[in-house]
Amino acid sequence: MRPYPLLILLVSTLSVLQAQHGSIIGNPFSTPDDLTAGTKSFRSQCAACHGLDGSGGAAGPDLSTGAFKHGASDAALFQVITKGVPGTPMVGFALEGREVWQLITFLRFLGIGKAAEKATGDPAKGMQVFAANGCARCHTAGHPGGFLGPDLSEIGSRRSLAQLINAVIDPNADVSTDYWSLRARTKTGQTINGIRMNEDMDSLQVLESGKLRSLWKADLANFEIIRTSPMPSFKSKLQPVEVENLVAYLASLRTPTKPKEAAK
Amino acid sequence: MRRIAIGLLVAVTLPAQVSFDRLVQSAREPQNWLTYNGNLHSTHYSALDRIKLTNVSTLDLKWVFQAQSLEKFEATPLVVDGVMYLTEPPNNVVAIDTRTGRPYWMYRHPMPEATYNCCGNVNRGLAILDDTLFLGTLDGQLLAIDAATGRVKWKSKVAEATHGYSLTVAPLVVKDKVIIGTAGGERGISGFIAAYDAKTGKQAWKFNTIPQPGEPGHETWAGDSWKTGGASIWVTGSYDPETNLTYWGIGNPGPDWNPGMRLGDNLYSDCVVALDADTGKLKWHYQFTPNDEWDFDSVQIPVLADLTWKGKPTKAMLWGNRNGFFYVLDRTNGAYLLGKPFVKQTWATGIAENGRPIKAPAKGPSHGGTDVWPGVQGGTNWYAPSFSPRTGLFYLTAWEDYHTTYFMWDQKYEIGKSFTGGTARGPFPSIQRNPFIKWGPEWGYGVVRALNPATGEKVWDYTMRDVSDAGILTTASDLLFSGNREGYFFALDAKTGKELWKRYLGGMVAASPITYLVDGKQYVSIAVGHSLFTFGLPGR
Repeated sequence: MRPYPLLILLVSTLSVLQAQHGSIIGNPFSTPDDLTAGTKSFRSQCAACHGLDGSGGAAGPDLSTGAFKHGASDAALFQVITKGVPGTPMVGFALEGREVWQLITFLRFLGIGKAAEKATGDPAKGMQVFAANGCARCHTAGHPGGFLGPDLSEIGSRRSLAQLINAVIDPNADVSTDYWSLRARTKTGQTINGIRMNEDMDSLQVLESGKLRSLWKADLANFEIIRTSPMPSFKSKLQPVEVENLVAYLASLRTPTKPKEAAK
Repeated sequence: MRRIAIGLLVAVTLPAQVSFDRLVQSAREPQNWLTYNGNLHSTHYSALDRIKLTNVSTLDLKWVFQAQSLEKFEATPLVVDGVMYLTEPPNNVVAIDTRTGRPYWMYRHPMPEATYNCCGNVNRGLAILDDTLFLGTLDGQLLAIDAATGRVKWKSKVAEATHGYSLTVAPLVVKDKVIIGTAGGERGISGFIAAYDAKTGKQAWKFNTIPQPGEPGHETWAGDSWKTGGASIWVTGSYDPETNLTYWGIGNPGPDWNPGMRLGDNLYSDCVVALDADTGKLKWHYQFTPNDEWDFDSVQIPVLADLTWKGKPTKAMLWGNRNGFFYVLDRTNGAYLLGKPFVKQTWATGIAENGRPIKAPAKGPSHGGTDVWPGVQGGTNWYAPSFSPRTGLFYLTAWEDYHTTYFMWDQKYEIGKSFTGGTARGPFPSIQRNPFIKWGPEWGYGVVRALNPATGEKVWDYTMRDVSDAGILTTASDLLFSGNREGYFFALDAKTGKELWKRYLGGMVAASPITYLVDGKQYVSIAVGHSLFTFGLPGR
C-alpha cells in the first residue's frame, strides 16, 4: 500500500476514469489529498474483509481488479458502500458523502496499480508457450480448458507480475487452499487421493479422479492434507525468455471493463 | 504428489457420467433423480419403496442445506450417484453430498446491477447430460457447468434481459440438445422455446410461441399485438422417446387482463405444443384458453401416462390447468379426450366436443372489477403434479373456492416494463405467503386432490387451511409427499389421502419434493423457506 509513487499517473488518469465511470453522478473528491484520505478510510472501514491492499479475503471479494460485481459506475459503487449488498456480508456504511467518494477514489486507484505494470515479454509468444506445455489441460484461459487448476481467464487483473512469475517457477510457494489435496487410507485398506473440496469435524469431501466423493473421518485409518500444489514447477522446463513471454501472456488476460454500465 | 497430478489428468478423459440413454431409462435407476420431473414422462413418481406406509411415521431429519439468499426457493434438485445438484436463488448452483449435506462446490452467478424479470428472482432447477449441468439465468443466459468442479464450460445468450426476458425454468435435455424457453409474459416479451447444442451452446432450433409474420397462426393476433404478446415458458416440458415429441406448456398472452388489445385466439399462448425434438417443428397444439382474459398460463408440467381409454390402450397426456379444468389429451395427435372442472370455476359454461371452451358471458376483467373463479393463481399452477401407475390416480395441488377480482385498463407498451393491461386483487398474496392466516376459508384454501383420469372425478381430498404452491411426489410404496404455505411437509396414503406423517418446517413450501437412495437408504428432500430439508428413516 504505497500510493505515492503512482500519484502522477493517478492524476493524469483520473480524468479519463471519470469520463468512463462518471455517469450522471461524478466523483467530486478525487484529488491526491482525497486519495490519501480514501486510503486511510479503506484501512479502517474496509480492510478487515477486503484486505489491506484490497485484494480480497475470506469475507470480501478482490476490489483491485477494476471490475465490480454489483456495478462499476461511481453511482453503483456509492450505492454498494452506503447501502450494502443484501444477502451478503457487505453491509451499508454510515459514512459522510465526502468519505464515500474518497473511498471510490481509492478503489479506482487500486485498479490503476495493476494496469500500470508493464510486462517485458511477448504475449503472443507466451500464448504459444501456454499451448505447447499443456497448461490448458488444467487451466482455462479465455478458451475452453481444464478445470483442475485455477481459471486464468482474468488472472492479469488479479495478480502482479511478480506473483505470476512465482506461480510458474515455484507453484508451491503460494498454494490456494482450494487446491490442497487429500491423501487418505480407509479402515478397509482403500487409498484415496484427490483435491480436498470441503471438510468439517466429521467428514471430508474430495474430487477424486473426476468424481465427487464424501468420506466420514471415522471410516479412515489415517488422512493427510497436502498443501503443495499438484502443478509441477516449470523452472527447469522453460527457458527464462519463455517464462517472460508466458507471464506477459498471463498478464494480458484482464477482466473486461464495462463502459456501458457507466452510461446507465 | 506426482501421483495425484497424473490421477487428476486422467480424470479429464473419464467416460460420460449421465448419458441420454440413462435419462430415457431413468426408471431402471430409481436411486437417482436425473431430471427436473424425475423422468422424461414427468410423472414425479419414484419406484423406491423403502420408506413405506408402515415406517413413514418414523421419518427423521437427516440434514439441512441453508441457502444464503432470501429469495423464494423454488428449486427441485437433481441427484446423480450420491451427489445432489441444487440451484439456490437467484442463480447459484451447489453440489451437495447426499449423505452429509456438505457442499462440494458452489457456482455463484454474477448478477447484473438490476433484473427486470417478473415474479421473483427464482430458479427452478437444472438439467444434466454426461458430466455437464445446464442452468438458465435471470439475465437471459444458458450456462453449461462442469458437474465435478462447478466451473463454466460455455455460456450462450438466449434472450435480452433488459427487455423483460428471463430464464427461470429448468432446461430439458433431449439427445444432444438442451431445450429451454423464456419467461417474461408480464413484460411484453415475444416468447420462444429454443434448443442448444449441449457441447457448444450453439442454437440448433427455435420455436416461436407467438407465430411471426408468415407463420401459421399469426392471424390469431390482431394488429401488432403479436409483437408483445408474451406466451412465456415457466416450467419444464416432457419428452416421449416413442413419438420423439417434446411437450411444453405455454404461458398467458399479454397484456394479461386486456384481451381487447389482442383480439383473436392468440396462439400459442395457453397451449400445449408438441414439437419434433430434432427440429423444433410443431406437430400439434391444443389451446386450453383462447384469448385468455385472466392470466390462465398453461404453465403446468405435461404428465405423460399410458392409459386404457374407452377400452383402447392410449398414449395420454394428463393436465390440470390453471383455468380450473382437468384435461386428458391423446399425446400422439393432440386429440381432446376429456375436460372437466377440478375446482370451482365460473369463467366457462363448459367445453365443446371439439375441445374449445364455451366462455360464460360478462366474466372478463372490467374497470369496476369482475369476480371470477378460479382466481389469478388458478386452480393449480407451476408446481409438479404426479401420476402413480400403481394407483392409476392423478394427483395435484389445487386452490379450491378461490376467486379474484379482475380489473382492466388501457396500457401502452414500454420496453422491459410491466405490461399487464389491468390487475387482479385477492384476499391473500399471490406468490408469497402471509404467515398470518386470518381470512375465512370461503376466500379459498388448498387441497391435495386425487383425480380419476378416466372421469376427472375426485377420489379423495387432503384439505389445508392456506393455499399451497407445493408439488407432489408419489412412490412405489403408495406414499404421497407434499407441503404447503403454512410451513408443513407431510406424507399421505396415496390410495386414501390419509395423513401418515407431518413436520412443521416454518417456511413456505414452493417447490416439489424428490426421493433417492444412497448406500441402501432412501431419502426425501424438499426446499422450504430458504433451506432444503432431507428426511430418512432412523439410523446412520
